[in-house]
Amino acid sequence: MHEFSIACEIFEQVQATALAHGATEVKHVTLQMGRLTHTNPEQLSFCFKALAEGSISENADFIVEMVPPSLECACGYMGPVDEKQIRENSELKSELLVYVAAMECPVCGKQAHMTGGRELIIKSIEIETEKDLAADSK
Amino acid sequence: MHVINMEHDVFKANDKLAEKNITKLDKYQVFSVNVMGAIGSGKTTLIEEAIKHLKDKYKIAVIAGDVVAEMDASRFRKLGVPTIPVNTGKECHLDAKLVEKALDKIDLNNTDLLIIENVGNLICPVDFKLGEHLRIVIVSVTEGDDIILKHPMIFKTSELAVINKVDVAHAVDVNADKMRDDILSLNPDIPVILTSKHDLESLKAWISFIELGLRRTREAQRK
Ligand SMILES: [Zn+2]
Repeated sequence: MHEFSIACEIFEQVQATALAHGATEVKHVTLQMGRLTHTNPEQLSFCFKALAEGSISENADFIVEMVPPSLECACGYMGPVDEKQIRENSELKSELLVYVAAMECPVCGKQAHMTGGRELIIKSIEIETEKDLAADSK
Repeated sequence: MHVINMEHDVFKANDKLAEKNITKLDKYQVFSVNVMGAIGSGKTTLIEEAIKHLKDKYKIAVIAGDVVAEMDASRFRKLGVPTIPVNTGKECHLDAKLVEKALDKIDLNNTDLLIIENVGNLICPVDFKLGEHLRIVIVSVTEGDDIILKHPMIFKTSELAVINKVDVAHAVDVNADKMRDDILSLNPDIPVILTSKHDLESLKAWISFIELGLRRTREAQRK
C-alpha cells in the first residue's frame, strides 16, 4: 500500500496550487493514472479524503481517468497497446499481466518499448474563489 | 468556478530526484544497485554473500530499507561495511527522497559499490526509481511458481532477475526452469541467475554479475 504517500504528494500540490489561485474551495481534482502503475484509485481517493479533512479540499470530487499503455517500436510504430491481442489473452486473470503480455508491436511483433501507461498526473483542479461567491450572490 | 491545469506527474517528480541521485553517484564514481524482492526471498543473504566476496576488493556501503526494525542493517554491519538503516514506517518501498537523505550519511569518496536493499515487496518498489545503476529482483522458489506472472511489472522493469533457494525447489514442488521461462516471457532480454546459498558456484555467478556491472559503470563514469 503506497497510496498514502502518493495521496500526501497530491494533497500538498493541490493545496499549494489552489491557495496560490485564491481558492476558497476545491471542487474537483482530476488525475490521469496509467494502467500499469501499481496504484488503486479507490484507495488513493480514500487517503486523499482523509488528508483533506478540515481543508478547502475536504469536499473535492476525486476523478481518476485511466490511461491505457502505449508503445514505441524500433520499426517506427507508435501507439496504444493492441486491444485485439488483449482480448485474445483474456484467459489471463490479471489485467496488468494482460497488458504486459501485449507489449508486442502490432506491426512487426517484436517486444516494443513502453512509452505510456505508468504515469500518475494531477491534470487539473476546479476551484471556487471569493470573486465567484460574490458574483453568485448578485 | 475555475479550472486550473496542473499537469503535475507524481512519479516523474520522484524520477527527477532519482536522476539527481545518479548524477551525484556518478560524480563520485559509485556503482549503485537496488535489490528488490519479497520478504523471505533471500535478499539479505545474497547481499551478505556479495559483501563477503567483494569487500576486500571494493569499498562497499549499504542502505538497508526496512519497515521498522534494524535487523538487516545489523547483519551488514557485522561484516564491517558502513550501513545506513532507512525505516520507512508504514511505507512499503524506498523512494528517491529517502535515498537522497541516506546518501548524505555515506562517505561517497570512500565508496565503490552502494547496495540498496529495498523493503520486502514485489509491487510498490516498481513505481519508484531510487538512483540506481542496476535494478535487481530476487524471488525464491518457496514463493511458488506462479509468483512471476502475478507480478509482471517488476520483472518487466528490472535489469537482473535472481531465482533463489533452487536447492529446495523439489521439496516445495516448484520447477525453477518454469520460473525462468516465465520471467523471459515477460522480459526476453533480462539475464536470469539461479542461486542457492549452499551452492558456491551459483553464488559466484551472482557476485560476478555485480562486479561486472561495477566495472562497466565505472568505465562509463570515467569518460
Ligand atoms: Zn514494430
